[in-house]
Formats: sequence, C-alpha cells, structure tokens
Amino acid sequence: MITLDARLRSNETTLAVVAVVGYTALVVTSGGSLLSGSAIETFFAYLAVPVLIGLAQLVALAVGQMNLSVGALGGFVACAGGVAMAQHGVPVWLAVPGALALGAFVGVLNGLLVVLTRINGFIVTLATMTILTGLQYELVGTTTVSDYSPVLRDLGRAAIFHIPVVFLVALAAAVVLAVFLRRAVPGRHLLASGGNPLAARLSGISNNRSIVVAHALSGLLIGVAAVVTLASAPGVNQSIGGDWLLASFAAPIIGGVALSGGAVSVSGTVLAAVIIRLVDVARAQFSLNPSWVNFVVGAVVLGTVVLTHRRGAA
Amino acid sequence: MLIAQDLVKLFPGVRALDGASLRIEPGSVHALLGENGAGKSTLIKILTGVYRPDGGTLSVGGVEVHLDSPQAASRAGVGVVHQERNLVPEFSIGENIVLQRLPAKGGLLDRAAIRAEAKRCLDLLDLDLDPDRRVRGLPVSQLQLIEVAKALSMDSSVLLLDEPTTASTPSEVERLFEVIRKLRDNGTAVLFVSHKLEEVYELCDTVTVLRDGVSVLESTPLADLAKQDLISAMVGRAHSAVDLPARPAVTAEPVLELSAVSTAAGHRDISLSLRPGEILGLYGLVGAGRSELAKAVLGLSAITAGELRVRGKAVNIKDVRDALRGHRIGYVPEDRKEEGLFLDQPVTKNIAVAVWDRLRTRIGGVSAKSERALAETYVERLGIRLSSTDKLVGELSGGNQQKVSLAKWLAAETEILIIDEPTVGIDVRTKAAFHELIWQLATDGLAVLLITSDLVEMVTLADRIVVMRDFHVCGEVVNDHEYEPTSHRVMGLIHQDAE
Amino acid sequence: MTLQVLRRSLADQRTGLVLLLVLLVVVFGSLIPTFFDDRFVVFPLLRDVATLTVVGLAQLAVLSIGHLNIAVGRMAAFGAMFMGLAYEQWHLPLYAGLVIGVAAGAAIGALTGLIITSSGVNSFVVTLAMDFALLGFVSLVYSELTTSAAFTTKPAGMQELRTFSLADVCVGPVCGTSAIPQLAIFAVLAMLAVGYLYSRARTGREMLMVGSNAVAAELSGIPVDRRIVGAHALSGGLAALAGFMLAVTSGSFTATIGSEFMLPSFLGPVLGGTLLTGGAVSIIGTFLGTSLTQVIRQGLTMLGASVQSLSISLGIILLAALSLDRVRQVISERKAVRR
Repeated sequence: MITLDARLRSNETTLAVVAVVGYTALVVTSGGSLLSGSAIETFFAYLAVPVLIGLAQLVALAVGQMNLSVGALGGFVACAGGVAMAQHGVPVWLAVPGALALGAFVGVLNGLLVVLTRINGFIVTLATMTILTGLQYELVGTTTVSDYSPVLRDLGRAAIFHIPVVFLVALAAAVVLAVFLRRAVPGRHLLASGGNPLAARLSGISNNRSIVVAHALSGLLIGVAAVVTLASAPGVNQSIGGDWLLASFAAPIIGGVALSGGAVSVSGTVLAAVIIRLVDVARAQFSLNPSWVNFVVGAVVLGTVVLTHRRGAA
Repeated sequence: MLIAQDLVKLFPGVRALDGASLRIEPGSVHALLGENGAGKSTLIKILTGVYRPDGGTLSVGGVEVHLDSPQAASRAGVGVVHQERNLVPEFSIGENIVLQRLPAKGGLLDRAAIRAEAKRCLDLLDLDLDPDRRVRGLPVSQLQLIEVAKALSMDSSVLLLDEPTTASTPSEVERLFEVIRKLRDNGTAVLFVSHKLEEVYELCDTVTVLRDGVSVLESTPLADLAKQDLISAMVGRAHSAVDLPARPAVTAEPVLELSAVSTAAGHRDISLSLRPGEILGLYGLVGAGRSELAKAVLGLSAITAGELRVRGKAVNIKDVRDALRGHRIGYVPEDRKEEGLFLDQPVTKNIAVAVWDRLRTRIGGVSAKSERALAETYVERLGIRLSSTDKLVGELSGGNQQKVSLAKWLAAETEILIIDEPTVGIDVRTKAAFHELIWQLATDGLAVLLITSDLVEMVTLADRIVVMRDFHVCGEVVNDHEYEPTSHRVMGLIHQDAE
Repeated sequence: MTLQVLRRSLADQRTGLVLLLVLLVVVFGSLIPTFFDDRFVVFPLLRDVATLTVVGLAQLAVLSIGHLNIAVGRMAAFGAMFMGLAYEQWHLPLYAGLVIGVAAGAAIGALTGLIITSSGVNSFVVTLAMDFALLGFVSLVYSELTTSAAFTTKPAGMQELRTFSLADVCVGPVCGTSAIPQLAIFAVLAMLAVGYLYSRARTGREMLMVGSNAVAAELSGIPVDRRIVGAHALSGGLAALAGFMLAVTSGSFTATIGSEFMLPSFLGPVLGGTLLTGGAVSIIGTFLGTSLTQVIRQGLTMLGASVQSLSISLGIILLAALSLDRVRQVISERKAVRR
C-alpha cells in the first residue's frame, strides 16, 4: 500500500518533471530565445499572481471550504490601494500594509459569516464576490488608475538575477504558508479541522476558529496578490481579478489538494501554477488562440479529478 | 479510581439510565456488559463528558467531578478509546497522540517534544511504531493502539475502551489485551466494554452488568461468576410478554432460501430458508453480519459462492429495484433516519415512493389523489397517528416514523420483508403494538426475516431463530416462545467457545 | 394571534416575495413616472425575467438533487453555439436549431453527471472543471469558424421573436398586451414542464428523493445514478434554452453568452426557497426571486445607479435572504423542540 506521503511526493515529482520537460521543450522549439534574460523575467513576472491566488484557494480548501470571492476581493483591494495612493495621497508604506489588512479583514468577514449563519461557504463567498465586484466598480468606474507610487512600480519591474521581485514575493508567501501549515500550531489545528472535524473537536480544537483563520489567511494572500498587481500591472481598473476565480482552483486541484480538506500540497500548487503558465507561453509561442489555454487547463483538471478520485479508491 | 453512583439520564419518553453505578479500581480491568439498549453507551457518554447526567454523582480519584465537556473529562484523567476512529489521517502518529495539546516553541511545533512525548506513550504500551509515520494507510488494529496511546498522553488514570475488538483479528485482539494488561499493571483503572464473554473472562477482574438502565450486577469479582450467571443477569426474565394469538402452522414451500452462501461482505457458508407466513429471526451480536446479510440479499454486496433461491428459482439480484420489482423483496433498514426515511418529505411521498409507477393517471403523471388514498390506507391500517398525511416525516414520533418506514414496503406489496431492528429507540407501548403488527402481517402470509438484538422481541415474535456470529451461522433454535430456555439456548450458541 | 400570523407568513417564503415585489413596484412606480412604460421598460424587463427564470430553473434542476452547476453559463454558451452553427453552417430553420442546441446542452449536462457518478467527486469541482473546458472550447470554435467571433445569421422568425409581444397575437379582434414579450412563452413552457416534472412525474419526484436522502433513495429502489445524470442533463438543456433566449434578445450567437448567468442562476432559486441541500424546489419561487432581483435592478438603474453597483445590493439581498432563512429555521427548530 502506497502511503500518502509517497503519493504526494510522487505527485510533486511528476509535476516537477512535467514542468522541466515542458520548459525544455519550449526552449528548444523557441530556438533558445526563452533563455534570454527578459524572457525569463516575463515568464516569472506573470507567475506571481497565479501562485498567490492558487495558495489563497488552497488555504480555504484545506479547511474544507471554498472561496469564490478570490478575484473580486483581489480586484477590490488592488483598486482600493491604487485609488488611495493616486487620489488621496496615501503613502506607499501605509497603502501596502493597508491593502494586506483589507484583504485579511474581508477574509475574516467571510469566515464569520460562514460560522455565524451556518450558510454554505459557497453561497456566502458568492454573495461577497458580488458585493466586492460592485464596490470595485464604485471605486474606479470605467477609468484606469495608474499614477501612483513610482517606488512600488519600480519594485514591480525590478529583478534580481532576472528573477522578478514580485515572483520572489509570491515564493516567499508560499514558503511562509508551507511553514505555517506544517509547523505552526494554528496551522495544524486548521488542517486537523479539515481532515477530521470530529477528531479535532474531541481534541479541544475549535473548528469554527479554524474556518475563520482559513478565510482570513485566504484574504491575506489575496491582499498580497493585489499588491503584486498594483506593482507590476500597468494600472488597475475594474477588470482586475475578473479571470482569477477559475485559475485559483486549477492550481490547487492539479497540484493535488484533497478536495475534501485536510491534505494540502503547497509545492504542488506552485508547480501546477508553473505548468499552467507554460501552457500559456506555449500558446503565445505558436501564436495559438488564447482559448486553448482554458481548454487545455479545463481538460487537465477534469482528467486529474477523474483519475485521482475513482469511486471507492478514496 | 472512578466511582459512578446512581446515575440517571432521561431522554424524552425514556429513562436511559435509572440508577447505574460502578466502581473501577486502579490496577484492574473492569468489564461493562449489557444487551443492546441496556444503557451502556449512555453511561460511556456520561463518563466521557458528552452527556450530563440528570442525577447521581461521579468521582475520579476521590474527588467529585462534573464532566461537562470531553475536554473536562480528559482533564479529570478519564481517557477514552471511541468506537469511531478519531485520528487525523494526514497527520503523523506522534502528532495525533499529542493533538490535544500540541507542544510549541516560539510559535512553531516542537517536533522533538512531540516525538519524545509520543515515544513515551508508545513505550508505555510497548509499541514499536515510528512517531513520524503518517497515520493514513496504517492497519485498523494499529489505529486502535494509537488511540490508546492518545488517551494516555493526557496522563489518564482511567481508561475507557468502548467495544475495541469488534473489527479485529484474534492476533490483533491478543496484542490489544497485552497492552491493556500492561496498563493495568502500571496502575491504570481500565473499563472494558464488550459483547464477547470469552474476552471478558480472559481479560477482566470485575464486572458490572446493566439492564434497562440499572446496574443489576455491580462491580462484582468475575471469578465468582459462571458464564450462565452473567447471561442470566444480562437477559433477565421476560417482562410482560405480549399475548399473541396462535398462528397457523406454516407448511408452504420456502420463498427465500440461501444455501451455502458466501458474500463479498465476508459471510461464509450461510444457509437458511424462509416460508410465507413465517417469522424467521436472525440473532447475533453487533458486528455479526446480520444487516450486511440483508443487504447482500438485496444485491448491495455480491454473492461470491452458494445459491440464493427465491420461490424455488436460483436468482441473481442486481439491486434494490430488482429485488422489489422482480422478486417482491423489501427491506426496512435499522437506521430509519439515515437509510429508511426522507425526513424532510411528507408522509404521502414516503409511503408511495416505491410505487409511483402504479399511481399514474391516464396522461402518465403520478396522481396526487391516488397517492394520498394509498397513504391514508396504510396510515389507518398501521395505526399511524398524525393530523394529515402532508405532515413531514421528520415531525413524527419515532414509533410513527418506523411505521411509515414499514408502510412503504407494504404499499409496494412485498411478499418477503426483511425487518432490521424495528423497535430501537421506541417506547414500550408502541413496541407492543409493533409486535402485534408484525405478527399480524405474518398471519396474513407475509414472509418476515426479523433482525433484532432485543432478545425479548426475538423470543416474542420469531418462529425459528438463526444465530449468527462473525459472519457465519452458528446454530438454529426453534422458538417455543418461552423466554428463559430459549434465550439461554441462543446466548449459549453465541458464547460457546470459539474453536 | 399576531405571532401566529407572522409565523405562518414567515413559513412561506413566496408570500413574502410577492409582498416585497408589489411594494417595490409601487415604490418605483411612484418615484419614476416612466416605470410602467410598456415598450421601453416593462417589455425588456419581462424579457430578461423570462431568460433568467430559465437560467434559475437550470440551476434548480441540480439543486433538486443537492448538487451545484457552476458551468450553467458555459453550458448555455455551448448549446447556443450549436444553434448558431445550425443556422449559419447548416442553414436550418429556427426551431430545428433550437432543438439541436438544447439537445447539445442536455448532452454536455449528461456527460457532467456521468463524470460525477463514475468518479464520486463532488459536483462543484466537476462542473468547475467543465466550465474551464467549455470556456476554452466554445471560444475556440467561434474563432475558428467565424470572422467576427459571432454567428450572425438570423433564421426566419428570430427577429420577430425578439420584438413581438402579445399585442401581435390576436384572437379575432382581441389582442394581448404589448408589455409581454413573446419570448416569455418559452419561460412559461419551461416552468410548466419543470413544474410537472417535479410534482407529477415519477422521474422528477425521484430526483427530489435523491436530494432528500440518497441512501434511503437507493434502498427504496430508486436508480440514484440515473437520476443524477438526468438532473444534470436537464440543467444543461435548460441552460441551452436560456442561451437561445439571450441570443434572440441580443441578435447574435457569441461565446460570451451565459457569462453573466452564474449569480442569477442561484439568486432566483435560493431567494425563492429552493434548498441548496436538495429535496425541495420551488418553480414559482424561482420566478418570483428572479422577478424581484430584476425589478430592483431596473428600478435602481432608472433612479441613476450604475449597472455594476447594483451587484452590491444584489449580494446584500442574497446574504440577507439566507440569514433570514436561517432565522426561520431556528424558529421552526425551537417550535419542533417545544412540541
């Protein structure tokens, strides 16, 4: 009998192999142009947000919840940060922590709504998603806000050895999250609630608190994604976050998160995000229709789901 | 040391405990025995802080305690190994053992401390398991030992084991017993809940027997008691058995026969036959495989050897639909809330659900009028008390719910009916009415396969009793409706030493 | 006495919806002089209500068995794509194309149901993945087969369906009102059919029983897997019908049809009292819930609110309605305990 450890490890190994082989294949077919400094920078710069929102969804899934408000919250926080800096002169050192706090705060609200009303987390976050989309529009209307903090924008373009700072931020978030879930007491409580709520309760763990913590962390990670967007995007407008929802689910599912909660793989999620990014690069390289990306990702997610969850095998 | 004195627990309409007492000494293993429904699980739930008693006192180590949560029980030094698995599968063995108070240093888990503490608990049990190994994928017997270790991590002076051996092989049971003996030798007071008398004799020093919520034997040394005494204490005397009219002798050919049937669920070599107008009892302890046998007859688990004959013909039943439509076999499940009824649906739909085909109007839809008429027929016939057949089944009392569950199969005009634990959680008066009803159905020609753990009920109703143990048949008793001799023969069959 | 009345009216969500709807119409009507303009306000309003009611029914079909369909919008796009193909490539008449598209929607729904029953994975994840795949697939087909990312061929009758109202239906000298669009007939037919299915037909009733208690359903001889596949097929078919109605309204078949369907698909049924846990559906409630949201949308828009900011109020309504539902549940639980 293969233990979960081995299965996770093999899953992550498979993902890593796929990522490396895919990248190499793209390097070869592009005649090496993918190895240029600027190409590498672009590749990783566009990876930061997918990694962060994938992690935001992963935390919610870990406790057996889901977060539909990923994109709406990200767009709202990004626009709020942009407007605060550009129109209200809020300094960047205040705006960035403010954005993170705002994300976490809305996350806490999501969690509290789920716990207090005992309404399905799906519907709660569907409702907050709707509200946040409206708020985002209220903030920016049809305009694009771009004249804010040059410091932040420089940081968004900065790279160390051709690795963009924003990607390093995402990677750092992944490492911190992995440590939190593996080593911190609240992180373990969160996973215990997701893995066996009854056992958690009998061991004196509050499942309600775990749910709120998970949503708060989810919101915080979305806050980070919003800051990264502020830094690296040409500007923020009402379309920010519009295509995050599906992407946020794809990475954790392909990365091997048990959808019933309890088992997570941070590295698998990051690797899955890399692979999805590769599909996108390949699409651009062969000048294919952008729709191929969604189609391929959808098919892969369906395939992953069907292959790993044979009835009775679970 | 744990002392429970005159514990009382009331549920609506039922006195689940009515003066239960026991006294577990340190360094001894104490057995808690009783038939199903005698109040064992209620007592366990009080001792572990899940229920609060309505009367009586509880003391641990000489101090009176009020256990109002599982945590309070655990703080008071009462550890428990539940029947259900209470481990987080993705966590390591060590982390599961110390989950109730994860040691941390500077906000992060102190892995060395987890390992050390887990090792300490595992060593107490002489268990050679790697604390860093993940729980998922471990065999069931090891999970159980890990739960014992988990209970020990809170420095429990009292350890409760709630039927720990139901799903274990003999060697696993032996391993568990070694562990329990070791704990006993270290001064722990152990309470061992079991159905299996030979295990009790092998392991325990003293025994308490519950019957109808009362301790009929309290903390008695086991050495003074013969097996017959224990059985007598458990089954007691028949209480006011209902006087049921004689039924005509059954002569018809069997409608349901199993010959040497083995199933994917684990049954071996099961043979029995059931005739129209007969009530065949299927008796056994929890875990003997009775409900599973019923489900195999319904096609829910595969028959791997032997033959299933319905009305003389060998058949292969695919699923419940096939059982019902092709063979007129129905099944009233044990767990009516989870498996039998649609609680949020009206009585009409619950009764008519299996026969909507028959209730069509000329244009093809289900006729609400015929549905109501059908429901009302059975509501009247079974004496279901309700204001309207539109009432949701979830709003009815337990007895009426059970009648609705039965009515579904009568409405479907089944000729063979498997009834599984029909009167669990039903008050005495309704119970008697239910017995008359089943009796009448058999008199009218229905073939009834009755599964019940209630010996009184079994002796009252069954014509013959097939006794099961560990997924095989260990004997058959012809029932003369005399409680004492029959119940002793049945219990004798169950508790005869396994070869 | 008053408490009893309160409790009874609370017990039926639909009564509340009707009262709220009337109240809102009166308020908006008195604030906005043109609110009852039949050609420019009521007609388009009812056309949207009709389309979104069908969208709601598509979600209701899977809610009946306790499932979700995240891909409801994309299934609409998938079905509509086949309609566009039928008209533009195969030159089929209006209703032949409609049948093909609805069949395509039902087929993709059935496939989704099959994946769910054979894998045992929950419906949320499967329909989410299906949403991805269809999103890509549908846009691919449009960009491969069309030049302007839309099928624009209008078969005979489509233009009329878009603009005609009951005023164009006359029995002798008596004609209908010009406020009610002919397109609404599809919604009425869908409501009647779905209503019949769940109240009278064995199949639909068995779906509800599956939603109520799948184990008991299995043990009562209901073919649970077949009912699950059936509910998803119905969902896909109804989504495709809604896609058709939207395409008729907008005049062309594009890949973006249905992209706005997800929220309304839940708003209508959930506000109308359909449970997320399965076992109970309300078709009239779905219509009322949809009407309520559309009236609020329309009224606020005419009062000058921006289209996007409306979603704030809709989200709050959804949360408020569900919290109220929770309160209702607590009250009835207390009542049950007291008994």
